[in-house]
Amino acid sequence: MMIALDRASLRYGPILGLSPTSFELPDGGGITGLLGPNGAGKSSLLQLLSGLLPPSGGEVRVFGQAPFRNPSVLARLGLVPEGDRLPAGLRADRWLRMMGELSGLSGQGLKAAEGRVLEVVGMADRGHLPFGRMSKGMRQRIRLAQSLLHEPELLILDEPFNGLDPEARLTLMALLRDLAGRGTRILVSSHILGEIAQLTDRILLLFRGRLLAEGSVSEIRQLLDRHPVELRLSGEAQALARWAVEQPELAALRIEERAVVISVRSPRDILPRLQRAVVAGELPLRAMDPLDLNLDAVFQYLTKDHA
Amino acid sequence: MPIYAPTLPPPPDLHQGQPPALVLMRFDLARLLRQKIGRFFGFAFLLMLLWKVGRIYVDHLLQTNQTFRPVQDFARSVLTQGADFQADLLNPAGYLLWFLVALVGGGLVARDTLYRVRPLMYAHPVVPRDYLLAKLGFASALPFAILLPFALLPWLMSLMLAGTGGPVWVTTPLRLLPAMALSSVLMGALAVGASSLAGTPRAGIGWVLGLVLGTGTLASMVHGLTGNASVQACNPIVLAEAWPQLFMGVERPLVPWLPAILGTAFHLGLWTYVAARRTRPSETVI
Repeated sequence: MMIALDRASLRYGPILGLSPTSFELPDGGGITGLLGPNGAGKSSLLQLLSGLLPPSGGEVRVFGQAPFRNPSVLARLGLVPEGDRLPAGLRADRWLRMMGELSGLSGQGLKAAEGRVLEVVGMADRGHLPFGRMSKGMRQRIRLAQSLLHEPELLILDEPFNGLDPEARLTLMALLRDLAGRGTRILVSSHILGEIAQLTDRILLLFRGRLLAEGSVSEIRQLLDRHPVELRLSGEAQALARWAVEQPELAALRIEERAVVISVRSPRDILPRLQRAVVAGELPLRAMDPLDLNLDAVFQYLTKDHA
Repeated sequence: MPIYAPTLPPPPDLHQGQPPALVLMRFDLARLLRQKIGRFFGFAFLLMLLWKVGRIYVDHLLQTNQTFRPVQDFARSVLTQGADFQADLLNPAGYLLWFLVALVGGGLVARDTLYRVRPLMYAHPVVPRDYLLAKLGFASALPFAILLPFALLPWLMSLMLAGTGGPVWVTTPLRLLPAMALSSVLMGALAVGASSLAGTPRAGIGWVLGLVLGTGTLASMVHGLTGNASVQACNPIVLAEAWPQLFMGVERPLVPWLPAILGTAFHLGLWTYVAARRTRPSETVI
């Protein structure tokens, strides 16, 4: 296993940053999303994994070893911490060279690595610019470049999409997918759930220092069968409501102007029936919006129980 | 026929570089050299050095040239002689050097705090000891490097002009170098410790100047009230000036040996401890 946590916890004095948590990530490439609101324990978990802090309890293993102050582990992982502050007057290439040297690179090897990572992040012709003359997206790419200099097997990114414009986000996502495809294991933390859903299907869901769920969005969704799914059916509201109340899966119904919002259990059963009724012309349906089939809903459902 | 799996390119060789502390020191030095601050202070210190060296030459002229014989006695009474003169060679260790150390050293740790660089460094094969060593090393090497020509050039000049009978003693570097080392480490430790307390480089400069001037003023006030010169051992400016005097054997040094040792040990211990505490990984926030 590339990452293995066995009841690992982290305390900041009297404050519990991360409750005893266990999970494993296998060797090989792929992207795993670490989701949770602010204060959920994402950064605590990343601090443990990147060797910045030792666990207060339990065990953390990265590449089979404890990462805290362990150069042999740290040399194999790359970290992109949260934040965008970089010295405005400093040139990106000089900063990259220092970071490369801290990873143990030097001479021609360092020069080649610098050229390679600038190429990978699409900054080959702008590496000489000072950070003050770069956009936020460019700086984020340089931060990613520094983490790739020593070709890490594990890449840890803390809130990498914060403050990026949509184009920069898409570019960064494409970069991360490409890296994952080449065999890098990527762990991305974010509270922007939709973006993580776009990036990966594998998630770890944290809330108030606890790991709530682990798996794909659909797997987690299956865990939540007891929670009804909300659908907005737009069209002739009264006719739609009449059809809905006859369905055994219906849990709740709310009539809006020219629409009804229904809460149903087992949407896999009701949706084909809905489709057949529409095709048969029995149902005046103009549009259907699933209100909670995304990660937001999963997150809301899970955290509601623990709040 | 065997089928071979495609091979990946070899991983980069990660064990070719210099020790992390040296890498960080070089980075700080390169940054300093790019700043105009270095040019201003370089010019100021060069002028002071020329004055020192020029004085040796003037002294030599007074001794050897008959034309200046009438003013020889007057010059002797005006210009310091003997151990005082040797110790005075390092007088840039006064306010100007402290000011430079504050300007440069005040930002050394605070800048990394502001830009959250330490978590990144500690996620590399860099341990807090490397970081602290680099910052203390750089902050101490800077005043040492500036003082070095002040100890060596007048000595060389004196040797060349007047041989062993010149105004600078043959053994002077042996006495001044340890004094310089102690003064420089004191300056470096205080600057790094104060910088670690600050969140921005400007605040770091303020902390260094505040601590140096604050303790200096306080020590001078207590000295004035009690008449006890040993209190000045709390004053880092006085300590930095006292070490050359002690090593050169000046008759009335600013602070005697024991208080100087205790005061320096106190400052070194305190500020190194503060810096070590403030640069621990647990102080860094991702």
